[in-house]
Amino acid sequence: MRATAATLGLGWAALNFVASFFMVTSAFVAPTPAKEGLPAQAVLLLGGVAIEAMAVALAWQCLRILGGR
Amino acid sequence: MRWLIAALGLVIAGAAAWTAYGQASSGAQPWSSELSDNFMLARLLPFALGLGVVTGLLHGRGARAEHRADGAVRRFSTWTVAMHAVISLGFLLALPTGVWQYLGGILLATLPIPLYWVYRVHYVGALVILFSVAAFVAAWWYTGDRSLLVPRGAWGAHLRGLAYELPLPAGKALARVLRIDLRVRPPAPERFTFYETAFSFPTWAFAIGLITVTGLIKALRYVYAVPGPVLWWSSTLHVAAMVLIALKTLEHLRYTLGRWPLVGAIFTGFLGPAAGSTHGRVAAPDSSPVGIGGQGDG
Repeated sequence: MRATAATLGLGWAALNFVASFFMVTSAFVAPTPAKEGLPAQAVLLLGGVAIEAMAVALAWQCLRILGGR
Repeated sequence: MRWLIAALGLVIAGAAAWTAYGQASSGAQPWSSELSDNFMLARLLPFALGLGVVTGLLHGRGARAEHRADGAVRRFSTWTVAMHAVISLGFLLALPTGVWQYLGGILLATLPIPLYWVYRVHYVGALVILFSVAAFVAAWWYTGDRSLLVPRGAWGAHLRGLAYELPLPAGKALARVLRIDLRVRPPAPERFTFYETAFSFPTWAFAIGLITVTGLIKALRYVYAVPGPVLWWSSTLHVAAMVLIALKTLEHLRYTLGRWPLVGAIFTGFLGPAAGSTHGRVAAPDSSPVGIGGQGDG
């Protein structure tokens, strides 16, 4: 049961990591946020970095569970 | 009587959904699928909120067993367990579709399915979340349950407890910023940890409140002329709230998966006796001068 939950958590972390990667890389190069201005770009950049950090933290927690620690 | 009111609410909401669907599928309006869905959402919002309120009344105020025969302690009522599952389902529908709407627009990417299906699923998730939020608020009002709130005048104790529960460097940093004397021990936590009362629940409430208000304003534009700047800020803050909820979901999963008894408690309502106190891995404050060592990892 724990392993199943940890695997699902790992999948959720991976999806979030991919989404946050696109948020960070799009912050200053994509035309839409550039048109919308600094608040939209800041949401993308800061939000993306924060989600990446939390996704890594969740993935680490899940890997610890899967590793039996 | 409460069941009767709830059943009546369900019938009214069902009739509203049937009527809105009938209007949308009649072909009387030359609207696209997406615009038609927008109007359907706007029409159903009041009924979702109303159904949520009457569902909240179903929580009941009666006394319930606080302990099981095996010594497990009640952490959540059956109603809360059910509604936690419902709001989780809402987020599971609304969050990925919301992220796709946002990122898809930025990256100019398309899916093999029509975009209106992404919006449709997002709106279903939004209605489930609004229903759940209304239900939780009504239940807390009706029962007077304030166990997730920091009592008036107790913020100092709860922040001290939070500093104790965080990992050592984070706890010390928080104590330094808030000028908390860690030599003074916090009181023992009650049903919820200090991390939950002083940090997790307030941030959940803020994020869900923000996405609810901004989402309602966005939906309101189909029945009322919302001024442009208000709509612009609502859209921007809706995205910011989406980011906050993505963060909160990750943090919530990390925290609870690290304290396995809490995962069981959200399905059964009870925290097993093996968990010791009511808080899984989080130990009660110890007696060391700087009592963070050996605490949970926040």
